[in-house]
Amino acid sequence: MTRYLVRRILATPLLLLGVATVAFFLSNVVRGDPLASILPERQMDNPAAVAAAKARWGLDRPLPERYVVYLGNLAEGDLGTSFRTKRPVSRDLLERLPATLELVVAAMLFGSVVGTGLGVVAAHFRNGVIDHGARFIALIGSSVPVFWSGLLALYLFSVELSWAPGPGRLDPALPRPDGPTGFYTIDALLAGNWAVFSSALAHLALPAIMLGWAVLGIISRIVRASMLDVLGQDYILTARSKGASTVRILVRHALRNAMVPALTIIGFSFAYLITGAILTETVFSWPGIGSYAVDAARSLDHPAIIGVTLIGALAFLIANLLTDIAYVFANPRIHLD
Amino acid sequence: MTLFKAVTRSVALATLGVIAISPVATGPALAQDETIVIARDTDFNTLDPSLSWCDTCQIYLTSVYDQLVRVGKDNKTIEPRLATDWSVSDDGLSYTFTLDPAAVFSDGSPVESKDVAFSLMRLKNMKAGASFLAEGIDGVDTPDAKTVVVRLSAPDPEFLGKASAPYMAIINADAATEAGASADEGADQSDTAEAWFLENSAGSGPFVLASYAPDDELRLAANANYFRDAPAVGTIVMREAQDAVSQMQMLQSGSADIAMQVDPDTAERVNADGVTTELVPSLNFIYVAIGVGAKDREVEFTPQVREAIASAIDYDGVLEFTLGGAADLIAAPIPPGFPGTDGLPMPKQDVDKARKLLEEAGHGDGFSMIAAYPETNIYGVDLGIMMQKIQQDLAQVGIELTLEPVTFAVWRDRVGSDHIPLTAVYFAPDYYGSGQYTGFFGMAEGTPWFGRAGGDKVEGLHNPRMAELMDEVRTAPADAQDGLYKEMALEMIKDRVIIPLINPKLVLAYRDGVDGVRYAVCCNLPLEELSKK
Amino acid sequence: MTDRVAPRPWRLALPSMGGGWPLVLGLLVVGFWVTVAATVSLWPLDDPLQMVAKRLQPPSAAHLLGTDALGRDVLSRTLHGATFSIAIAIVVVVAAAAIGIFLGAIAGFFGGILGGAIMRLVDVTLAFPPILLAMAVAATLGPGLENAAIAMILVWWPLYARLMRAQVLEVREREHVEAAVAAGAGPFRVLFKHVLPLCFTPVLINATMDFGQVVLLAASLSFIGLGATPPTPEWGAMISEGAKQFYHWWIALGPGLAILTVVLGFNFVGDGLRDLLDPQTD
Repeated sequence: MTRYLVRRILATPLLLLGVATVAFFLSNVVRGDPLASILPERQMDNPAAVAAAKARWGLDRPLPERYVVYLGNLAEGDLGTSFRTKRPVSRDLLERLPATLELVVAAMLFGSVVGTGLGVVAAHFRNGVIDHGARFIALIGSSVPVFWSGLLALYLFSVELSWAPGPGRLDPALPRPDGPTGFYTIDALLAGNWAVFSSALAHLALPAIMLGWAVLGIISRIVRASMLDVLGQDYILTARSKGASTVRILVRHALRNAMVPALTIIGFSFAYLITGAILTETVFSWPGIGSYAVDAARSLDHPAIIGVTLIGALAFLIANLLTDIAYVFANPRIHLD
Repeated sequence: MTLFKAVTRSVALATLGVIAISPVATGPALAQDETIVIARDTDFNTLDPSLSWCDTCQIYLTSVYDQLVRVGKDNKTIEPRLATDWSVSDDGLSYTFTLDPAAVFSDGSPVESKDVAFSLMRLKNMKAGASFLAEGIDGVDTPDAKTVVVRLSAPDPEFLGKASAPYMAIINADAATEAGASADEGADQSDTAEAWFLENSAGSGPFVLASYAPDDELRLAANANYFRDAPAVGTIVMREAQDAVSQMQMLQSGSADIAMQVDPDTAERVNADGVTTELVPSLNFIYVAIGVGAKDREVEFTPQVREAIASAIDYDGVLEFTLGGAADLIAAPIPPGFPGTDGLPMPKQDVDKARKLLEEAGHGDGFSMIAAYPETNIYGVDLGIMMQKIQQDLAQVGIELTLEPVTFAVWRDRVGSDHIPLTAVYFAPDYYGSGQYTGFFGMAEGTPWFGRAGGDKVEGLHNPRMAELMDEVRTAPADAQDGLYKEMALEMIKDRVIIPLINPKLVLAYRDGVDGVRYAVCCNLPLEELSKK
Repeated sequence: MTDRVAPRPWRLALPSMGGGWPLVLGLLVVGFWVTVAATVSLWPLDDPLQMVAKRLQPPSAAHLLGTDALGRDVLSRTLHGATFSIAIAIVVVVAAAAIGIFLGAIAGFFGGILGGAIMRLVDVTLAFPPILLAMAVAATLGPGLENAAIAMILVWWPLYARLMRAQVLEVREREHVEAAVAAGAGPFRVLFKHVLPLCFTPVLINATMDFGQVVLLAASLSFIGLGATPPTPEWGAMISEGAKQFYHWWIALGPGLAILTVVLGFNFVGDGLRDLLDPQTD
């Protein structure tokens, strides 16, 4: 077990090197002109301007040389300067990461809480109408394209019903909370600013629910299965015979034990949510990593593309690793080597 | 059963919580009276005046910086700005400007001739951004602190127009130099001030840069050392809102005061209390262009074939389908109202003529054509919708378009190297003057579009008359200019390489109580004129 | 067990429906859409590519799902869209499974440098968030549904390779295989006759469950402009057009419901099949 983990952790930098290499060459062989976000359209036919811009941004060097330079900088933690924003990519990513994480964590919370609830209810009313209904809701969540459900939700709740605010993270007239976490909700709470907190929470609710719906299915299903497993065991029957109430049995005895396998799934869901975040951020104008990735890809911003891919891959690898570890702890019979 | 109730109740409560909270956020903005929020799809490529180039840059560079001169409210006349007066030498080669003695930068230091020399030469030597505006400048002399002499290498009747362009911003030379800026030859490689300009401003305009986060927010604060009357608003916030829908929602909820990129369809659909929408003519236009020398052309795009393509397009239909009719036809690639545009013939659809021309050219059975265009939504026009409409129009005469929406980066590569058989793009003016159009669109050797159309790869695209006129207009007397530009406009129409389609109307949408919203050639939206009750 | 197969999360996102009705319902829905895809050109529908009415008309008796920005019938376009989505799902799943099975079997059976190289390629590919890699590849190849399909195959095959390799490794150790080797059978004969036939079931189950996810990813790519080109009535592209005409909500309604039902149908079928073929899971 320990050996397996050490091997996995040691392999992570190598995998990231592979990812950086693939991303570097892919973004460089893409047909297109990365000067699009550096030079005005009018200047693209001016050879002097094109040559000057290429030299300025190092694009006149041969590809292998640029690759070596890039890796050298990467080793020092320098992800380069974005062609599009003209700022260090690492700074762009650091500014946007909290937005994505806040969205993903909120979606995860929604998915876990509601998913667990649905799972418990479904297990209790096993094979009844409520069971099928709960699972149907869960299944729709994993089948619906989030870019469509997001649009629909925005139209319905924001335009028609005016229950939710429009896209974005915060009412623009309000000051950005300046806090240690970068999560607007938490930073506003820490500062005790209720107007900012409620605006941030209201903006967060819709995208987080739409995104979290997708993982609700996994969680409710796992919880239901393990609940059924646990409910049939002796100590539950004992508790029941002692006259404990249904709620007490379900929550105190069964859910507690059933949660272990559900926890293992959170790693998976997290990685899934990072993918879903790209589309959700596009629909909800959420200024996170996902919309940054789309903008970077559109403008062929090489340093930003590689940077955002590395961050995504790192999150993905960590989530997978955590899942594996959780898996082992939850199922001691499985051993990895 | 009890459990189910408990859970549903808690879910319902959670939902209620959201409902209860949201009115706070969607209610009237909590902004101070002196803050104005503009919802905008900002297209900043940078905030460095010598490198920037975009529609939003025009707004920024005219409110944080000053130029020597500026176009007045009639969108035509050159008026004093930093220069109180100016004169031109008889040979048209040198312009002498006298600077406003009161003018100071935001750090309190006076605006002097050395700053002007620095700014103009930096723009030229950075060889990026709008450097072509300064290309004709040979040198700048500074006889004294408040007198500037700009020497040109050739006469340029549009030089004052160019000097009014936002990119000709006058920068505080000392502050910029300290930040690594250079105006010398070789500045394109040695200048390291761009990062500094993303966090600081060094101008003499009514506002200063307070903060900038790309794709998120630009915040301007009133310039405490402003030497003219202080602007009515203390803070201007430009919030990223990438599409018309988000902009309209922000206006409706009161979280934005102004939006300028709402399309007419959306504006019409939304009836928002407290929001005024105004439809005004713009100076922008959208055009299709034929890549006569494009590598993957299936047939030769002879003048006959080009005329056929132009005749097959349903111009009125294009306006209807893209902007619900909130647009005007446009005759030549020069915006209406600019020199030489009076009385030009408007394009018309004539399907029979198109069919006849194609038959004569030997293409009675039609042919197919690749149409690659940047996938974008500009001035309310979705280029994808526009090209699908053109596709239907051309199908009527047997020309089958294969549409390829591409990113702007890919479009630039393709239009520059292999050229594109049929493409679509847009143009917005940098200053008042028709030379920027003839020099860009005219089919004379050396112009950008002569190259993009593949003019050096086929015979006969060079229009000698056009080249002659472009030369002539440089030294022609002022009263002959309009006539020459009109003749050039007619040549460009005849060439049928650039086919202008849409002169979109602009929707100005703003909340009641906001005053001074105006579309201007000088600056897009002059921020200093805004006020709020 | 070595190199435990870590399925991608969406595999687990499919709650098992247990009983038989989901399979029946799923088959009905999928059957409906496959029929539509195969026969839509015979239906009495408006031309999906031509303007047939005034633009941006809300749903009415003549146009049940309204018209889009070019005056085309949204219902007709939605039904025609089935052809593209179903075809792309089949092509991507079959091609990715074929490549993955082939490379995974080689890696598992022969191992060595070749096997190691294949598995490192699999590791690197799987380290990418799938949509990011698909975006990058699709951008490299240029617009078009064919290119989007290639991008998705490149993203998907490693899943099958990893699954196949694990299966082969396990089956290889079984007695009958060892007996065949001892009897002097050549490596290819052992692989094809004795090993592969026992490895297919889990791969098949995975493949059926992937159809829906491929439909979703294809629509996502088209939505962000990397798939179908206009005027193709592809669902993701139609939703993207609908998003630009946000206040005309009906433009995106048809294609959205279509994606939802197709994916739901495939998920029901895949889940039901899993219960049928592989009762010991779950």
